[in-house]
Amino acid sequence: MRRLLLIVTLVFAIALILSAQYQDPFKITWIEPGSGATLPEFDAFDSNEGTLGVLNASGPVNTEGHPFFTALGTNGRACVNCHQPTYGMSLSTTGLLERWRNTDGKDPVFAAFDGSNCPGLPQDLEKSHSLLLKRGLFRIPLPWPPKNADGSPKPVEFTIEVVRDPTGCNTSAKYGLKSADPTISVYRRPRPAANLKYVISGGQPIVLKTGMLADVDPETGNPVSMNLMSDAREPSLKTQVLSAIMGHEQARVAPSSSQIQKIVEYESQVYVAQQAHIFGGPLAVAGGPPGLGVTALRDHRAGVLGDNDYDPVFGLFTTWKGNDYYRSSVARGADIFMFRQFWLRDAAHINSIGLGNPLKRTCATCHNAQMTGQDLSAGWVDVGTTNYPTWTESSTWAESSELPVFKITCSRDADPHPYLGRVIYTTDPGRALISGRCADVGSIVMQQLRGLAARAPYFANGSANTLREVVDFYDRRFDMKLTDQEKEDLINFLGAL
Amino acid sequence: MGAIGALGQQRNFVSCPIVRDTKTVPCFLAEYEGETYFLGIQQDITSDFHPPQLKHEVLVEGRIAEGPRVCGGIPLQPVSISVLKEVNLACNTLLPAEPGMDAPPALRGPGPSSHRTDGGAGKTPRESLTGRQEFTLLYAFNDDYLEYAANQLVTEAAAYANRIGASNVKISGYRATSLLTNGDQLVEKAGLAEKRAQNIRMLLRGLGVSNAIVEWSNAAEPGDGQTDPSRRRVTIVVTP
Repeated sequence: MRRLLLIVTLVFAIALILSAQYQDPFKITWIEPGSGATLPEFDAFDSNEGTLGVLNASGPVNTEGHPFFTALGTNGRACVNCHQPTYGMSLSTTGLLERWRNTDGKDPVFAAFDGSNCPGLPQDLEKSHSLLLKRGLFRIPLPWPPKNADGSPKPVEFTIEVVRDPTGCNTSAKYGLKSADPTISVYRRPRPAANLKYVISGGQPIVLKTGMLADVDPETGNPVSMNLMSDAREPSLKTQVLSAIMGHEQARVAPSSSQIQKIVEYESQVYVAQQAHIFGGPLAVAGGPPGLGVTALRDHRAGVLGDNDYDPVFGLFTTWKGNDYYRSSVARGADIFMFRQFWLRDAAHINSIGLGNPLKRTCATCHNAQMTGQDLSAGWVDVGTTNYPTWTESSTWAESSELPVFKITCSRDADPHPYLGRVIYTTDPGRALISGRCADVGSIVMQQLRGLAARAPYFANGSANTLREVVDFYDRRFDMKLTDQEKEDLINFLGAL
Repeated sequence: MGAIGALGQQRNFVSCPIVRDTKTVPCFLAEYEGETYFLGIQQDITSDFHPPQLKHEVLVEGRIAEGPRVCGGIPLQPVSISVLKEVNLACNTLLPAEPGMDAPPALRGPGPSSHRTDGGAGKTPRESLTGRQEFTLLYAFNDDYLEYAANQLVTEAAAYANRIGASNVKISGYRATSLLTNGDQLVEKAGLAEKRAQNIRMLLRGLGVSNAIVEWSNAAEPGDGQTDPSRRRVTIVVTP
């Protein structure tokens, strides 16, 4: 017993020493708008998994008066409220719960507009913010039908009905689908505002997945990657900034072009990655895997395909094979990610674009962009996180969901969803809310895989609380037949990114 | 071995595809009148062969080719594959790998690619084109989705038109009929010729060709059971 106690104490002490190398344990990590702090060139933040590194590649950032850190709207929010360096320039539910307790729910991150399940709910109650606190989800109100840039309605291929509305927002007379301003509310995680040179790279004039023109940057006229946001609704960082300030910050006056420019410049130089593992120690080490850590992200070229065996997505992990337990596990996880074959089935915009169904491939087929594991082509895919394939007309009464459920009915002259047909039950139609296309229902733009350990939960709808749940999802979804050891290896690998 | 007597004959039919796993990439097969036909193997997006999909019937239009069975099926070559749009849950046959049932060599296996890209060095340089050029974009049956090869052709046509400052760019859209081996006819849906042509006009406009003339034929072209896939098309004629 004494020996066990000694071992536990020793492990705890080692972990503390390792984490102390990177972080002052007493510093306040939640940045409030207008705090005026100066952010160092390199900062490190602990989580249960280890230490996240945050690199300001342009040097220290003075936040005083900086528009990313200043509330520009009417609800007290700044960009930083939802993109905190501590949480990989996103947010975690751990951080949100702590923030709720520390501020009695008064932090602007909980703003009624989209930080609660619906603005009409009593805002002082924790349960009115349950989706944010439990799953890290913000309300995203989108017009229905979708609109063109000039405000005219886009043609749509389906009708949409609300069949479950646990938040009350989609059936609300004020905020809902039948309101004066017909709106669909979906609930999504904020994406990391970091490593963005990778996210915006790779624009091609014609989108491989649709055979249609890519969106263009309104400023340059150049085609864009269409990998920004869950539904690719914003073509550029500038338009995203403008839309976020007018929406999430509820600004009445548009930000100036210099404010937008300053925000984009800041976002474009921030890199986040896991820097150390709680027991495994530093990750970005000489002679180690070349893709780990923030400096690798800063230095690597963006827009490079990594679905190959000579220069893979996150580099080679060869030198960690046969190393200590943790590093060997990470290296095995990298091999599973790159080389473990399984049947990719029934995934719209993967199997349906000429590759065949099923497709015998690996994780890296889709997560193919070097350094982030996004898709180099416009990356919306229906991997099955939002749709309910087993729901039927007669079973809806018996089903339940924390999220709203919509019934999509495709018109007869439209192409149906390739694997779910013409009637689809979904908690988030995803890209289809922007494109109006039936084949896009449930398709969500793939996310980058960096800094994961600091920003649980995962998937656009926060449906996986842990990396274990992410791995379990894929194991079930694609019948990968992973052993417990393989799952642990994949989790260690993903956690090291 | 009925294949020998039928060598060169056309087989046009609709059925559920069958996927057979192998030690490497899967083979795609289909059955018609008690016989199994080999359609192709899993390849990459840049390949000319785009495999069928489980959960969908497939329209197969192919010619019986010389050579032994492949993955247990009589090879069809050339072969056109059209995935029919409506979901059919009955199409769900995935056969396990069996000893001796091997896929032909694939340019890319089921794992990550081993081929270093040449940065497009193998492509025909656009500068070699001169004079009036016709670009023909082919489609799967009842489909207006522009597959990779056609997508590249549109880009090439636009680059050519822009380079020479084309005086005239004409886009013509068509829809067609497929004559099946059993005598049935499948006619592409009304409005498809216009949709195909208008989509190409939009693409060309986005690629800098704004003066294209568009036309389409409302009538579906008749099928002959031999060359039907070549009539599901859009042509782009670029005149200097």
